[in-house]
Amino acid sequence: MSCRGAIRAAAFIAALLATPCVAQVVDFGKYPNLKGQWVRPPGNPNNWIPLAGPPPLTPEYRKVMENNVADVKAGGPGLWPPTFCIPAGMPAMMNLYEPMEIIVLPETTYILISHTDDSYRRIYTDGREFPTDAALTYAGYSIGRWVDEDGDGKYDVLEVETRFLKDPRGYDISGIPFANDNQTRIRERIYLDKADPNTLYDEITVFDHALTRPYSKTQKAIRNPNPRPVWIANVCSEDNIHVSIENEQYYRSADGKLMPSKKNQAPPDLRYFKKTQ
Amino acid sequence: MSYRSSICATALATALLATPAAAQVVDFGKYPDFKGQWVRTGNPNNWIALAGPPPLTPEYQKIWEGIQADVKAGGAGNWPSTFCIPAGMPAMMSLYDPMEMVVLPRATYILISHNDDSYRRIYTDGREWPKDVTPTFAGYSIGNWVDEDGDGKYDVLEVETRFLKLPRSYDISGIPFHSDGQAVIKERIYLDKADPNTLYDEITVFDHALTRPYSKTQKATRNSNPRPMWFSEVCSETNTHVFIENEHYFLSADGKLMPAKKNQAPPDLRYFKPTQ
Repeated sequence: MSCRGAIRAAAFIAALLATPCVAQVVDFGKYPNLKGQWVRPPGNPNNWIPLAGPPPLTPEYRKVMENNVADVKAGGPGLWPPTFCIPAGMPAMMNLYEPMEIIVLPETTYILISHTDDSYRRIYTDGREFPTDAALTYAGYSIGRWVDEDGDGKYDVLEVETRFLKDPRGYDISGIPFANDNQTRIRERIYLDKADPNTLYDEITVFDHALTRPYSKTQKAIRNPNPRPVWIANVCSEDNIHVSIENEQYYRSADGKLMPSKKNQAPPDLRYFKKTQ
Repeated sequence: MSYRSSICATALATALLATPAAAQVVDFGKYPDFKGQWVRTGNPNNWIALAGPPPLTPEYQKIWEGIQADVKAGGAGNWPSTFCIPAGMPAMMSLYDPMEMVVLPRATYILISHNDDSYRRIYTDGREWPKDVTPTFAGYSIGNWVDEDGDGKYDVLEVETRFLKLPRSYDISGIPFHSDGQAVIKERIYLDKADPNTLYDEITVFDHALTRPYSKTQKATRNSNPRPMWFSEVCSETNTHVFIENEHYFLSADGKLMPAKKNQAPPDLRYFKPTQ
């Protein structure tokens, strides 16, 4: 009878799990605890070259980078679209210029970062394939897969691939270019430090036709110990001093007037204003 | 013996629930199904159409008339999004672009990519209002799930939003908020009981520019595609509005600066060398 009772109990639990109600029950214990506010460690977020070494650019794109660097030296924006409030996009947004929140649900992991403006990534973990035709965005279209590496029944790593990335983008302010074919792919492995669950790593590898081989860095992040942290909202256009007119960059001076960003820069063409004004 | 087995089963279930892992088990069946892509129907600039004329104080009625006159003259009026400033609350909930709602016990997140990506965090973890918060355009929101019919499932998310930053408006009509930045917005978000693919957001604004609270109910419909297309709007990418020394100008189709108003003076170029 005891055995029959146990069988009945097992059947009862199995029936519970099979109900539509239980289908909406999620065991978050299977996933690594990525809750909270993740901030980059002290130091410069423009860290691709320090962490990954010199970029393995093709000769063509080596010249493009040299021009970007020269433009910055002359007072230009180089290749850093956030100068004009264009989102940093991938992979630059994962440099964590500002803090990050990771929201894990079985179907999707969301990443929220307010840098330049609010920005977010949707990493689909619902088993979908890449679509054949997706609109290009700066954050790209990301598909993820949870991996239980040590076989303990819990996920350890979120593996992510991102495609459909829109240009212009940079890695950081260094001016490293992407090929202008919008074919970049980025792979990531996101996981907690096994010895310190308040440290997170994002191994980021870029595959791009401007590169002679994949280019990788590991971005580290630290969990803010405050369980109810302050979240800022960065609004680029609110106080942006950069003005782009006819592909030229100008500055807004402290008194609001237009001023050159480069030595001997010509003023903007005002032909559409009446001369008598 | 059968009775004892039942006790064993109950004990087993209790033990399971008492494990640390069970503490991380969430029954989403308790919450209304807000998943998917929510889109508006009709013109998003609908505050007056849905809520009637705004009950502004005489002072703010005059301010609003000034705003309307500015728009007629070619100015930007009171619509900060013209210059890529986020719409913020309550305008963002007019759903100019589709919305995703991510419900977790600790918070409900609202993601909308209009102007630029934007999101709201609605905290449902029982917290009290903080004393000192930096105002933002989306504000600081605390929510409370309500089981209105007592069936053990939540029906309504009640939300209050404070700490709202200026400048903001309700929509392109330019209805102003009081300059004291003390607006408070209350919402009730729920599914239509007869049609779970229709969502309502009852929005009520409390502001010192108003003689009484001002309310509308925003309707949204769930996209039937379970894997909808989400696009990402980037305001600065194609924005033709330029703001220089408190004056609004346009960028023409050929990229050159042009006036936004009749007989508008060009910007002051005193910082450029005359010989250039």
